[in-house]
Amino acid sequence: MTRALFSFDGFRRGVRDGLPLGVSIFAYGLGFGLVAAQAGFSVAKAVATSAAIYSGSAQLAAVNLLQTGEATLWALFATILVINARYILFGAALQPWLWPAGPVRAYGSLLFLGDANWMQTMRAIRAGEEDRAYLPGTGVPMLLGWLVGTALGAGAVRVLPAPQALGLDLMLAAFAVGMVTAMVKTRADLVPVVVGAGAALGISALAGPGLAIIGAGLAGGLVAALMYRGRP
Amino acid sequence: MTESFPVLLLVMATAAYVVRVVGFTLMQLVPVSPRIEAALRATPLAVMAGIAALALQTGGLAEALALGSVVGLTLILRSDVAAALMGVAVVALLRWLGA
Repeated sequence: MTRALFSFDGFRRGVRDGLPLGVSIFAYGLGFGLVAAQAGFSVAKAVATSAAIYSGSAQLAAVNLLQTGEATLWALFATILVINARYILFGAALQPWLWPAGPVRAYGSLLFLGDANWMQTMRAIRAGEEDRAYLPGTGVPMLLGWLVGTALGAGAVRVLPAPQALGLDLMLAAFAVGMVTAMVKTRADLVPVVVGAGAALGISALAGPGLAIIGAGLAGGLVAALMYRGRP
Repeated sequence: MTESFPVLLLVMATAAYVVRVVGFTLMQLVPVSPRIEAALRATPLAVMAGIAALALQTGGLAEALALGSVVGLTLILRSDVAAALMGVAVVALLRWLGA
């Protein structure tokens, strides 16, 4: 099997495109660090948690669960699976592009998978990105931002303004809106946008926000598959 | 809970990695037909629209105006990253003004 391109050039391109994402994740990291410190985590424990899970929503849920003092290991495991269920879809969507890089590079790159750089990478793939090292490249500034943010937040940097005052809590949504605007080229592209938004709101109302995002992706994909009518 | 922190950490890390690889691994069993490809192509747009819709639902006027400005700025500037960063500045300004 000929391996797909996986070069330093692509990695560097990914790092460059991931820098703005890293800034936003830094802000989320500050927020998590603060919550972890309030739950009694030391800086080292908070940073270790951020390195191990590398997902804000799942970590907040895990810290909440640990705080109750009654959680079992299975409950902890299941909570992270449910909160991060959307990653199952993220990985599936990446597979046809990422797999030709070979198993070690593919499974290694998946360690760097986050919400923002998944969106960024899927966008780059659509624009013709061939270098699979782009994905871990985008992940490096994000992971660094996440870990440094966690450390500062847990180290009680209460002199910093709240991330909300700087609007940083809206960063992921702002990136999502910008990318959707840039990616919608035809009227048919609006179908998954409408389906995704509707599904997210409906599922969030019925089952909570944890499953809303994977539900939006599945609904959008399902509708696209049903509407598929051969090559245009 | 009586387990030590390293055990908790290991359980959490395993769960976090499992969700990252399970969809990827299962897709190796699925032959990628043009129909599946169309579905996979549609998922990022649906996910991003879902993230935006949830932000609009939980936010107020400031968030709606900021996200609306990102659409306009992306079309004008032809850079979604610049537009997103400016949208964040817009919401920070509106919140400061008390919107």
